[in-house]
Amino acid sequence: MAQVFHRSANNIARISILVSIFLAGLAFYVYTQVARSSYLTGRHIEKQQPVQFSHKHHVGDDGIDCRYCHTAVETSYSAGIPPTQTCMNCHSQIWNDSPYLEPVRASFRENKPIEWERVHDLPEYAYFNHSIHVAKGVGCSTCHGQIDNMPAVYQENTLQMEWCLSCHREPEKYIRPKSEIYNMEWNDADLTMDERNQLKADYKIRSSQMLTSCSTCHR
Amino acid sequence: MSRNSEKWSVVTGRWSVRKSTYCLLLAAYCLLALGCRYDMQDQPRYTAQKKSDFFKDGKAMRDLPEGTVSRGNLREDKAFYTGKKETAGGASAAPVQTMTDASGNTLVASFPDAIEEFPVPVTEELINRGEERYKVFCIVCHGPVGNGDGMIVRRGFPKPPTYNDDRLRNAPVGHFYDVITNGWGKMNSYASQVPVADRWAIVAYIRTLQISQNPNGNIKMTSSNSDNTTNTTANTAVTATPTLPNANRQGGAR
Repeated sequence: MAQVFHRSANNIARISILVSIFLAGLAFYVYTQVARSSYLTGRHIEKQQPVQFSHKHHVGDDGIDCRYCHTAVETSYSAGIPPTQTCMNCHSQIWNDSPYLEPVRASFRENKPIEWERVHDLPEYAYFNHSIHVAKGVGCSTCHGQIDNMPAVYQENTLQMEWCLSCHREPEKYIRPKSEIYNMEWNDADLTMDERNQLKADYKIRSSQMLTSCSTCHR
Repeated sequence: MSRNSEKWSVVTGRWSVRKSTYCLLLAAYCLLALGCRYDMQDQPRYTAQKKSDFFKDGKAMRDLPEGTVSRGNLREDKAFYTGKKETAGGASAAPVQTMTDASGNTLVASFPDAIEEFPVPVTEELINRGEERYKVFCIVCHGPVGNGDGMIVRRGFPKPPTYNDDRLRNAPVGHFYDVITNGWGKMNSYASQVPVADRWAIVAYIRTLQISQNPNGNIKMTSSNSDNTTNTTANTAVTATPTLPNANRQGGAR
């Protein structure tokens, strides 16, 4: 009986196996890159808000503390979006005829909240609490970036699980003294590794086994 | 029994009608379940400041019914919660006198109702807390030492009166508390931003600022709270031994 396959079929078989492995690998790589892309994570995408509120002006130029508006950050899971009355503490007197601020005045007049566009939206199966992070030495800018340089706020990090875990595995790389939490200019290089390990001990930050346990974030 | 036999009877033909009805219902139910599928990312529950479709006013975060008192927060301690004397608000109370300064601000000139002594122990811890809170909420207008030259004033907000004149040096502590709580003049109420215990901490820091700008004046920081027997005056100011304030008067109380 004659041979069914020509001798060159061996090569074709080998090449097609290699190519299919390569294509599978390429597809996986493309998948990981797409999953981390700003198209899917929303990272670095500025959101248009109902009022052209600039954090760069209020934080950077005026030096207003984060907690002046986000009052609940030390006591609650949510930092809190301020009520319109907080805007009116100053804007009842200054820029009080600016057309930019008409939505704010309308909100105050009609007792209707301004509907801000949410920028950082964690999936609801992940438990997150601002107050514990602030109390353990995680500064605002560690997660939110330099808000004082953002005319329109955008998401600085992916907020993906691998990003959360990068800090939960090694918190000592990211923490700072509690007095510097609200300092937008803080640089991680300001402290040596030993000093940060000391902070980790002082603030009684739990072991990375505890911090990376499933039920720490998925409750 | 007859009903049952009818249900399962093939002969009458009614069973097959029912069967197709059930099939249709099942299919409809499956479609319905598809339509109602909730993503785990966005679960059917309310989180802070979410909009509600259920309540008419659209608020998911509900206001407490009027008159609600949470356990341990009856607010019967008038001095602590209002900064006013027990006798304040009575028929015989003297009216508050006001005056107008050069820049058109209406100033309080007499303080008949305000308490003179802190209702909390005056400790180093209290003053440090007050300094931190002052630098968050007050410094924007009142400035670093209370002269009324904060950044927002430099941006055009009407200048508030300075803390460092005789009128406010002699003003009782209850007056400062009352202004933080209820506002005065161009200043709005800060009651929603600053909890009660923090307001007293801020008042303690304001007194400290006044002492720092007038170290030889006899500005007193005394407390009516029995936990603190040290009467701190200008000369021994800010050296009071740190003790823990009453547990039930820390933070939280809004």
